[in-house]
Amino acid sequence: MSSILTDPTTRPPRSAEPAPGRPEAAAPEAVAAQRRSLVHRVERSARAGVWRSAAVVLFLLLWEIGPQTLITPDTRVFLPPLHVTLGAWVDLVRDGTLQTHLQASLTRSVLGFGIAVVGGITVGLVVSWYATVQSFLTPLLELFRNTAALALLPVFTLLLGIGEVSKVSIVAYAAFFPVLLNTIAGVRTVDPMLIRAARSLGLSQLRVFQKVVLPSAVPTIFTGVRMAGTASILVLIAAEMVGAKAGLGYLIVNSQSSFQIPQMYAGILTVSLLGLAVNLGLVRLERHFSRWRPDATGR
Amino acid sequence: MTAKISLRGVGKQFVVRPSRDQTHAAVLDALRDIDLDIAAGELLTLLGPSGSGKTTLLDLLGGLSTPSSGQVLLDGSPTTGPGLDRGIVFQQYALFPWRTALANVTFGLEQQNLSRAARDLRAREYLELVGLAGFEDRYPHELSGGMKQRVAIARSLAYEPDVLLMDEPFAALDAQTREQLQDELLRIWRTTGATVVFITHSIEEAVYLGQRVAVLTSRPGRIKEVVDIDLPGREGGTDLRSDPAFVAYRHRLWQLLHEEIARARDAGHRRIQPDGTEGAA
Repeated sequence: MSSILTDPTTRPPRSAEPAPGRPEAAAPEAVAAQRRSLVHRVERSARAGVWRSAAVVLFLLLWEIGPQTLITPDTRVFLPPLHVTLGAWVDLVRDGTLQTHLQASLTRSVLGFGIAVVGGITVGLVVSWYATVQSFLTPLLELFRNTAALALLPVFTLLLGIGEVSKVSIVAYAAFFPVLLNTIAGVRTVDPMLIRAARSLGLSQLRVFQKVVLPSAVPTIFTGVRMAGTASILVLIAAEMVGAKAGLGYLIVNSQSSFQIPQMYAGILTVSLLGLAVNLGLVRLERHFSRWRPDATGR
Repeated sequence: MTAKISLRGVGKQFVVRPSRDQTHAAVLDALRDIDLDIAAGELLTLLGPSGSGKTTLLDLLGGLSTPSSGQVLLDGSPTTGPGLDRGIVFQQYALFPWRTALANVTFGLEQQNLSRAARDLRAREYLELVGLAGFEDRYPHELSGGMKQRVAIARSLAYEPDVLLMDEPFAALDAQTREQLQDELLRIWRTTGATVVFITHSIEEAVYLGQRVAVLTSRPGRIKEVVDIDLPGREGGTDLRSDPAFVAYRHRLWQLLHEEIARARDAGHRRIQPDGTEGAA
């Protein structure tokens, strides 16, 4: 999924008009040639854009036309065409319901995600700094990491109730491990040569950590942060479906049980757009922090 | 002759961890009884077969490890750990990939009490000295091998150490770039007047650069012989490498080195890594 998002060529082609202001600089033929090559380039990127969005457009078309032609009216109720869903979405926005639920979800995920990032990086640095702590804790961390966060949802609900605390906690829990493990991995894979070079300059252990280990681990840590972002949305929606009075997950489940099917699809659409936006933002952030890596631009 | 660096009976042993073909831990003699004086402002090359403990010796000089026996004296007093009075240039450049060329050169300067502007000024100066003016904002992955090593040399020179320790710095470069950087090094050495200890396994390089060449024996590394190199016309643009005197030195060192290589082969030595573990030679 992320490969589509990380590819810079998917960005809408910038309107490419011939640069104004210097018509006297080139001969008319050269200008014409330049314009031709420009036209070519615009054409090529437009064609690439069409090709890349073709699958999504086809899917949306199928969603629109399929329910109206392929299935019987009594099943159509469960799978309304796209325009009905979009209509429900606009209604939800207009009366403010969607904003309320979106805000509830965002607050929880940002809180949980924030706690996870700060906690994961801090614990990760401490654990990887002390080798004995690391060998002591790693088996336990592996055990927790391989326990699906949602399997623990009943535990969180039992201990913390169905309020905000349990939601934020489960999000923080699910997002914590990618950050933690990537931080440990980032610190562990520092080139020992760089540490030798820094030590040869007389840097203290703490300084080496601050000026060599940490910056070298940053790209790996941010990969963990991006994974945590995805995980936090995923787990939050599921948690909201089980027991909540607000939030996008609640909106989806509640619409379903009260037979407001278009609203349910509008909620699902919102969730996927939210996921896309979060991932896009985090990918940008990750790329910004790893721009010194030779492979960072080509991914 | 006032010695800048004195090695007095220096030995270094490693404990080798048990491995598959060696079930018990063993003590490995990397260096034994090294006695060597290096004068201030001298350029000494250290020539030895692989596994002779060249890098181990450099680590001791750089203060990255401590000798098991004997003493390493710098200006007459024993060394205590690494410091900005010595700069090390590594074979694999060891540049910080997240820092630009300029920021790599300022790395050592950040240890000193210099303003940011003063650091940048000094770094630019040294990048220019190594012929990299205009490349300040490039990241290491945007530079060629030769350019990376130039940045590394500038980084080590920038904080103006008295001693420059170089661990096979040109071994990973192509022949042309290597010769070019050898000439650059000689020029820089004359400009700065630093004491240079240059490790190499290339006989030609040892003769070309060194005022003296210290030949190490195969493991355990000892000083086999120190050969004074007296070549006229180093400054001129002549083809020094085909000068009869150069060829004679080359041959002499070849004989010294090849006795050791043969000895190492007979003993079935394995190479010692800097961290004390063993790998196949």
